[in-house]
Amino acid sequence: MRPIRVWRALREQGVLGINRRNSAYTLRWNPRRFYPNVDDKLRTKDLCRRAGIPTPELLAVAHHHFELRELGPQLARLHDFVLKPAHGAMGKGILVVRGRDGDRFITTGGRPLSLGDLLYHAAGIISGLYALGGQPDFAMVEERLIVHPEMAAIATDGVPDIRVVVYRGVPAMAMTRLPTRLSGGRANIHQGAVAAGIDLGSGRTTSAIYQRRRIREHPDSGEPLLGREIPGFKDLLSIAVRAADETGLGYVGADLVVDERRGPVLLEMNARPGLMVQLANRSGLLPRLRAIDLCAQDGRSVDERLDLGIRIAQAAGAPESSA
Amino acid sequence: MNRLAAATGLVLVVLGLGVFAWKVFGYGMPVVAQDPEGLWRIELSITVRGSGGRGSVRAPLPSAAPGQEIYDESSVSDRLVFAIRTEGSNRIAVWRGQIGDLHDLSYGYRVRLSPSKYALPAEIEAPSRELLRSFGRASGSFPSGAPQIAEVLDKLALPPAEDLPGRLRSIYAFLAHEIAVLEGGSDDALIALANRGGSERGKAALLVSLLRAAGIPARPVLGLELGPGSPRETVWVEAWAGDWLPLSPTGAFFASLPANLLVLRTGALAGVESTGTQALSYRYQSLREHLRADELATLMVPPNPIFTAISLYQLPVPTQSALRTLLLVPLGALILALFRNVIGFQTYGTFMPVLVAFALRQSHLGMGLSMVAGVIGVGVMGRLVLDRLRLLLVPRLSILLCVVVLGVTAFAIIGKGFENRDFFAGVLFPIVILTMLCERFSIAIAEEGMRNALARMGYSLLVIAAVYPVMRNARAEHLMFSFPELIFAVMGCLVWIGGYTGYRLMDLIRFRSFANPNEGSA
Ligand SMILES: Nc1ncnc2c1ncn2[C@@H]1O[C@H](COP(=O)(O)OP(=O)(O)O)[C@@H](O)[C@H]1O
Repeated sequence: MRPIRVWRALREQGVLGINRRNSAYTLRWNPRRFYPNVDDKLRTKDLCRRAGIPTPELLAVAHHHFELRELGPQLARLHDFVLKPAHGAMGKGILVVRGRDGDRFITTGGRPLSLGDLLYHAAGIISGLYALGGQPDFAMVEERLIVHPEMAAIATDGVPDIRVVVYRGVPAMAMTRLPTRLSGGRANIHQGAVAAGIDLGSGRTTSAIYQRRRIREHPDSGEPLLGREIPGFKDLLSIAVRAADETGLGYVGADLVVDERRGPVLLEMNARPGLMVQLANRSGLLPRLRAIDLCAQDGRSVDERLDLGIRIAQAAGAPESSA
Repeated sequence: MNRLAAATGLVLVVLGLGVFAWKVFGYGMPVVAQDPEGLWRIELSITVRGSGGRGSVRAPLPSAAPGQEIYDESSVSDRLVFAIRTEGSNRIAVWRGQIGDLHDLSYGYRVRLSPSKYALPAEIEAPSRELLRSFGRASGSFPSGAPQIAEVLDKLALPPAEDLPGRLRSIYAFLAHEIAVLEGGSDDALIALANRGGSERGKAALLVSLLRAAGIPARPVLGLELGPGSPRETVWVEAWAGDWLPLSPTGAFFASLPANLLVLRTGALAGVESTGTQALSYRYQSLREHLRADELATLMVPPNPIFTAISLYQLPVPTQSALRTLLLVPLGALILALFRNVIGFQTYGTFMPVLVAFALRQSHLGMGLSMVAGVIGVGVMGRLVLDRLRLLLVPRLSILLCVVVLGVTAFAIIGKGFENRDFFAGVLFPIVILTMLCERFSIAIAEEGMRNALARMGYSLLVIAAVYPVMRNARAEHLMFSFPELIFAVMGCLVWIGGYTGYRLMDLIRFRSFANPNEGSA
């Protein structure tokens, strides 16, 4: 590796580095006071619900240990659901119940749990076991999303999600993260999930990487990964943009899942989205962010901004055809 | 980088370097420590408590002697009357007066020690009567008349009295080889002889007794052994052979005196004592000086009243030694910032590498790092077990802290076998940091997988290893301590690093596939 040559290549293709992301984008466009809007999932959900943005439906919440007594009967009435911490990060403390077997709750891993087990887990969440800072946390129970079959076909035992980077209300770039056997069903690229770039205009995947290598087929199933259409992608973009508007953050990553029945649903927002999206798309963010800076004005409608994002994406980093 | 940051950085750097240059070129302050041998600053601090009656505190002070020069003496007497009394060749500091609650006394001085060798004269006139009366007779501490002593001399079959060097050597060799130094051994000459081992004082008393019994005037010496840690009170012996020859009771030196030994008092072993008080405690502190006396003078009293007023050399010794190391921390932070923001190494905890390097500065790097790694290993295992108990954060961290303390304790016991006292001294400090490191490491294993967690640990250790040499560099220490204005220059560089928006080295590695447009495998 010749550093100077790489440096020039990155500059020419406008790859965004960490230093510039921090100083020119997150520090500049994400005021600290808006962070709670994305760090607390209940708050994000609340903001979204008021704005009519689809999120997994909230079925129950327990803020304090004494509320667990009411949580018991509520859970007993449910068939499938997700129990998770409001302040969790990196998927910690999330329990997905996929169905019932009499009194037992069956998790996606196939483990049968009793109601007592679930309440114990909820107690752990409230105690701050999964909140990174150890601050008081809430246990929330929400609707279980069921992955759209077209997405499920290109993922192994897990929920693939779609990350959209939204800058000043304009979608800039998107990718989907597909769990693999190596990643243990988690949509985490560092742990071995596949990342596939998405063309904003067509909603189709354009290129994919797995373990730093470019690939064309899913490493587990051999399913082709390029040119796959994300169902309801146009809606998905508009949800991401509207959610970004609600949070007040100027440079965010929106994580969405495409549900079988409901279509695109917002899972969470991220105030410091990573830079991996550039590798997945084989395209730098900077040309797009700069173009958005040139064109962005307040008061544009969501549709106008979607069009702007698509036009900029197509002009800036027209991804190479994947023939 | 934005203009404002660039300009701010420039102002700070120019300010720091400007004052530095002014001091160096305008006033000739030395930039490089010469590191001459044998220069020390020593301070004796005493705390006494009394009930209001009259009392006094006495402490032996070093006198000028062939191998030792004393200068820059100063005392703090805290409401008592201070005087220096001379007793023979000894000087004794005396504080007296109404001793109320607490009094903090101190006496500080600089010494210059040079190793001295003594020639053993071929011919020696018989010692004078006076010498024999003072230093040749049996006494309570030196029972040279005891039958056991005579028995030893018989067995040694000393050379005839004319061969004084020969006699000295056989007695010296007997003490060095036949009598062991026992920790907690007896201070008494005869008990040390009977046990074939005693304390350093016991051996010295035995040596004096044997010499006197052999007709050689001898006296004990109380001194300080100077080294990297605090000075240690120690004793040795002087034998008369036309001149006083130093002899070590433990076989360390014969007719010479190492340059790290300072004579406090001869003829008696009394250290710091008091009368009319309820409690007394004292300690010596020492600091290696890195400059000649004249260079030191320009730093202590620069020919400019402002610089004189802010010279750190005017501070008390303990403050000075604390500041000397403290002022190195900004340099460490600068290196850390370079590694994190320009190279792009991810480390655990923002300042963890600097603090660990700082704590390890007195020990061997490899040893220190393996110890840190060992303790983290123990801590992470503890953390794995704790995870199952599902405990709340603060108690969980506290238990982890206990595990880390236990781990360190275990290492101390293991380390005893390697006689690694100093490597241990440094590691005591960052227990809390080590605990947080275990916690962060465990979280990273869970969230990012073992490989990434280990990579990050590797980067952290690398940064520690990079900061470490600076933390123990005598030149850097002298530079920052003599020219603290350099901190402004460091801050300026930090502003520049903070404003650097270019690629990090790690960005280049991560995104290197952008440089070859056609291929897939990176
Ligand atoms: N409502 C849900 N339905 C199905 N799976 C879910 C749901 N919520 C979370 N998950 C699963 O948990 C993972 C992490 O969820 P997310 O809300 O992004 O939490 P975190 O912020 O901890 O990453 C998702 O990728 C998905 O696999």
